[in-house]
Amino acid sequence: MSRRNFVAISGVVIAASMLLAACAQPAAPVQPQVIRETVEVVKEKVVEVEKTVVVEATPIPSEKPKVLRINLGTYPDVIDPQKSSFVNEIAHLKLIYEGLTKLNEKLETVPGAAEKWEYNADATELTFTLRKGLKYSDGTPLNAKRFEYSIIRNINPATAGEYASITNEIAGAPEWQGAETDEDKKKFEEQVRQSVQALDASGQPCKDYEQEDCLTLKLKLSKPAPYFHTVMSLWVTYPAKQENIEEGGENWWNSSKFHIGNGPFILKSLEPFVKGVFVPNPNYWGDVPKVNIEYQYITDSNVAFQAYKNDEFDIIGLAAEDYQAVMADAELSKQATIYPGSCTLALQFRNFKEPFTDPKVRAAFSYALDRERWVKDVLQGLGSPALTWIPPGFPGYKEGETRFAYDAEKAKQLIAESSYGSVANLPTIVLTFGDTPRNRVRYEWLGARFKEIFGDDLKLELKPVEPTAFTAKQKDRESDLQMFIGGWCADYPDPQNWLSVYFEGSTTFANRIGFKDEAFDKLIAQADVELDPAKRAELYQTAQDRLVDANPVAFFWHNVNAYLVKPWVKGIVTTSQDADWPGSTVPATIDIDTSMLPN
Amino acid sequence: MATFLARRFLWFIPVLLVVALITFVLMKAAPGGPWDRDPEAKQVDPRTQELLARQYGLDKPAWRQFIGYLIGDVDKEGQFVCGAVCGNLGPSYRQRGKTVQQILFQPPPEKSFFDSKFGHTLRLAVLALAFALVVGIPAGVFSALRQNSWIDYALTLITNIGIAVPSFVVAFFSILIFAVGLKLMPVVQKSWAGITPFIIPAIVFGFGTMAQTARLMRSTMLDVMRQDYVRTARAKGLLEQAVIWKHMLRNALIPVITTLGPAVAGLLTGSIVIENIFGVPGVGRDFIQSIGNRDYSMIMGTTLFYVVLILLGNLSVDILYGVVDPRIRVE
Repeated sequence: MSRRNFVAISGVVIAASMLLAACAQPAAPVQPQVIRETVEVVKEKVVEVEKTVVVEATPIPSEKPKVLRINLGTYPDVIDPQKSSFVNEIAHLKLIYEGLTKLNEKLETVPGAAEKWEYNADATELTFTLRKGLKYSDGTPLNAKRFEYSIIRNINPATAGEYASITNEIAGAPEWQGAETDEDKKKFEEQVRQSVQALDASGQPCKDYEQEDCLTLKLKLSKPAPYFHTVMSLWVTYPAKQENIEEGGENWWNSSKFHIGNGPFILKSLEPFVKGVFVPNPNYWGDVPKVNIEYQYITDSNVAFQAYKNDEFDIIGLAAEDYQAVMADAELSKQATIYPGSCTLALQFRNFKEPFTDPKVRAAFSYALDRERWVKDVLQGLGSPALTWIPPGFPGYKEGETRFAYDAEKAKQLIAESSYGSVANLPTIVLTFGDTPRNRVRYEWLGARFKEIFGDDLKLELKPVEPTAFTAKQKDRESDLQMFIGGWCADYPDPQNWLSVYFEGSTTFANRIGFKDEAFDKLIAQADVELDPAKRAELYQTAQDRLVDANPVAFFWHNVNAYLVKPWVKGIVTTSQDADWPGSTVPATIDIDTSMLPN
Repeated sequence: MATFLARRFLWFIPVLLVVALITFVLMKAAPGGPWDRDPEAKQVDPRTQELLARQYGLDKPAWRQFIGYLIGDVDKEGQFVCGAVCGNLGPSYRQRGKTVQQILFQPPPEKSFFDSKFGHTLRLAVLALAFALVVGIPAGVFSALRQNSWIDYALTLITNIGIAVPSFVVAFFSILIFAVGLKLMPVVQKSWAGITPFIIPAIVFGFGTMAQTARLMRSTMLDVMRQDYVRTARAKGLLEQAVIWKHMLRNALIPVITTLGPAVAGLLTGSIVIENIFGVPGVGRDFIQSIGNRDYSMIMGTTLFYVVLILLGNLSVDILYGVVDPRIRVE
């Protein structure tokens, strides 16, 4: 750059920053207004006194509806209950629709469209009874036949929903999806139709969607599954209307016209990539929400942050990069809403690859993880250290776990005791990660810590790869992955979803890391079919204990959800499952204090 | 002229074929597929992945996928489905239920083409180009005519900023100044109807092109000013206006026009950063996302479309040459 150019550029940068500084000044506070008035005093003497009165604007009762404006980030790819799978997609669906059951603020499964449910003696049959007189937002009746359609549509291989396997306990479902020949397809489709049946008052299959006494939905399961009523709270069972899906074609979900639902809100309009507007559904059976909701889709967190400060959003995600700045600000720090999330991350080892075939080496790396410092220095406080699998706030969480807590001395000692004898004898260890600017910082920190603990003899290699390629490597058992960070986020709050779905010896996940423990498998197999809730919880607890002991992965940290929420937004009740925005599980309690709104 | 055009259009075919082949090979060589997600997101169940791959024909051999994409293939019912040659850019694997051409060109119900994703990008690009030319050309001419004056220095300063400062910095500063500071617009637009919401994004977007145009214009004007034919024009007593407009400007414009082709293509295809920061619902964002998503048909379709735009941009430049300078008029 020539000298002249440099001077020129500096000049403009200085000018711009001055302008910025001027812009960044806070709005002037309400000025105390001095009012002179004449007052009569007892001694019949007239004096002039000065009175200082703070004039406050009287709130004008607004006729406008209360609107909660949320930045949701990425615009969804699909908003179809039986095809969606991303948090931002489900964030739309769960406002418009409701399942047979739903979650409450304590993440307990409570009645949704169904007022009650019942398992048979060995939990292989689940019968729901719907509320009487349920209506869609357009006033048309909603009966059990609608749910029959949705659940079968989710299983149907022609739908190829990305979350279809979540209802695989339904007898015939996995077989239908895996069927190769037309004959098999027909056979298993028939089986699924027998397994999912809407029945009327006399116990006969329902005829149509209008039938008023069609209030029973019976599910036949291929194995005892006492947690299945919780699965029925998921978006895959939401009763979108068959006629709308058929009329709108594959693209039906693109138009608010076809999204007629039974949830607390109505999708009033949807402008792709710009705005989604939701208004309360007066036909909802439960508490009708007090506010309208407006989603916008800004992906750049800096822009969203500016818009929030400019009062254009009421709720935005708090990026880790902005966390320190927010906490240093007296006003903004009060608006930060941070609560436990639904994910656990772990440093995963391929247990079938050298040197992690040796449990002592795995243990050494577990002890070498300084989780407290990681959370403080790397995550900037946005996380909590994890020594166990199920995160806080979820049924099955174990408080006070101490095994494999950070202990550098023990880590070194374990390597010395291992079959390798010393750090120098360990083969090269490759730590692979998805290459993003954020991850580079994280993994360099981690690599440096391992070197610090184990010394320079440790042959550790950091290997950044393109993020999608990293995912592909994780899936492939034969890939060159050796050590990496990976985790799990809850689909539904039940220990089964954490322990059986992820670590059971025959699952794809356990298989990828090479974990198979017979005692653990036996415990969860027992727990999965146990009908007594207390006994079941105990079995899962024992299983999790066993898992921590086996140490197939080093549990690392639990994520947190972090948001900024404007002070006028009242009544937000968060749950760990609110990964889209705080309060999304129980939106009916949310209100806006209009007297606090800026003009 | 007709043969020239025909020949040029025929040349499009091999160019497109080669680009398609390279894109296809590169994209298939990258590990992972459309159902592999960001490592931090939940992954799709393997059985479902198989079902999806079969549904979209990704289980077929690669050569057949390639031919099928370009020319066409028979679907499950045995019907022939025409490929890219018929304008069918294939189904998106991520935005399920939509084809690539729908994603790019289909407006929301009851809206015009200009409200489609490409419509938004087009509006942004045309405004940015207009800004670049309307401001850039006169600025360059003015600078040259008043060489070494304070106005020349001021314009040089601005154009240097335009070239040196990346657009995301300019974009962010413009938000801080116009939205947060002066409150002339919201940080986040609530609607993209009409032209108004596009004005500031377009100025920011066109800033770099404007700067380049102005600099190029200035240097070629300075070059032309010293030519013999300009001296001759002055010597034969022509008005200064006529000398500038007829003799200097027309000759100085040729190099500028040469850069216009790539500039137009760049504006149409390079709006990703501006779209992201201002939240413009255009195609740039989708295109970049589709690469990480391994949304194969979206990558192929958008690339081919971009190539056509670039080819057309260059072709129109070749035709424009002739308008400005009859000596290089094409036969």
